[in-house]
Amino acid sequence: MKYKDYYATLGVERNASADEIKKAYRKLARKYHPDVSKEPDAEERFKEVAEAYETLKDTEKRAAYDQLGQHTPGQEFRPPPDWGERFAGAETIFDDLDLSDLFAGLAGHRRGGARGERTPRRGRDYEAAVRLSFEQAFHGSEIELDLSVIEYDERGAPRRVPRRIKVRIPKGVMDGQQLRVPGKGGEGADGARAGDLYLDIQVETHALYRVAGRDIYIDLPLAPWEAVLGTTVRLPTPGGVVSLKVPANTRAGQQLRLAGRGIARSDAATGDLYAIAQIVVPSVLDEKQRALFEQLARTSNFNPRAHFETEANP
Amino acid sequence: MKIELCEALRVDERGEVSFAQLIEYSGLPEADLRELIDYGALSPLDPKAAPPSFSASALGLVRVAGRLRHDFELDANAISLLLCYVARIRALEEEVRALRAGVAGR
Repeated sequence: MKYKDYYATLGVERNASADEIKKAYRKLARKYHPDVSKEPDAEERFKEVAEAYETLKDTEKRAAYDQLGQHTPGQEFRPPPDWGERFAGAETIFDDLDLSDLFAGLAGHRRGGARGERTPRRGRDYEAAVRLSFEQAFHGSEIELDLSVIEYDERGAPRRVPRRIKVRIPKGVMDGQQLRVPGKGGEGADGARAGDLYLDIQVETHALYRVAGRDIYIDLPLAPWEAVLGTTVRLPTPGGVVSLKVPANTRAGQQLRLAGRGIARSDAATGDLYAIAQIVVPSVLDEKQRALFEQLARTSNFNPRAHFETEANP
Repeated sequence: MKIELCEALRVDERGEVSFAQLIEYSGLPEADLRELIDYGALSPLDPKAAPPSFSASALGLVRVAGRLRHDFELDANAISLLLCYVARIRALEEEVRALRAGVAGR
């Protein structure tokens, strides 16, 4: 088991008062809590801070922690020989454990009561961040997750074991959404049900598509003459290429809607896909093309700024 | 090695959840959840029904509430206020995302 210096994590002295510990935790929680922090390693730092506080705020746990002695952080160590009997109430296998598991087990042991009777305890909920490509999120997918979970032996002593599970992600999940895998959290103790596994979904941005709610947006570049005369284009959509008829006189920024081509969800109506017209001009013209544009300029009496005169001087 | 295949469910799946389920998923004490209802941060589907039931979308909200209570040691009054802000921020984020998505050339 690797040693963690909880006092150093919170930035307090080993003889700090309960108030000093609380104050230090609150300051760091405000700085690193994932709900409020923009720090790049906020989640990891908050976990460390919360773990340290969880132990040091509790008088009994803090006493048990102090009895472990002081070691170099990250250094392998073993608790004193009678530590497990005194604090965990059972012979504990320390090699498979993280320090936080040890103190979580301590709380469970204490809840068991003075006479050692056990009360059922629901397993812990776990959270895992899952990064999906746009396509995986759109179509749904199956992913494999490697977890490290806590199990309890017949005496109630905790141990950490690796677990690999395959999870079916439903189609239409969105960035920031949370999914629940029932019963795949920590094992329940003494007959209680297992906790759940929560997946925090992150969806990678796509080079072409942008998502808003259940709708998808894509830019549709058009040549000036295509916008004026109308055309039919092949448009990529997440469900496959479609043929899109662009009406004559399409304006820049105009949204052409393809109903039902957005994100599908089992519990809601499927969204739409919007192609947003962009008028793109050629950067290079040959002589003939330039002559045609010049002819158009001479012939046309179209003034795109006609409203300037009336609206600037009402 | 055969790996078990599990279904992931949307936390905000449409449907109803019971008061007991909210207690279980949030980790909040019953008294705190009742206070959140009293303060209007959580709205039962039918205010007159006993026991109350909720839209499944409340699950995500009560998990945030549970986290705020545990991590910042807040009381129910402070949590209810924060939940209102969380809801507003989420609505604004959604609006910003929609506006950005609808602008060409990004």
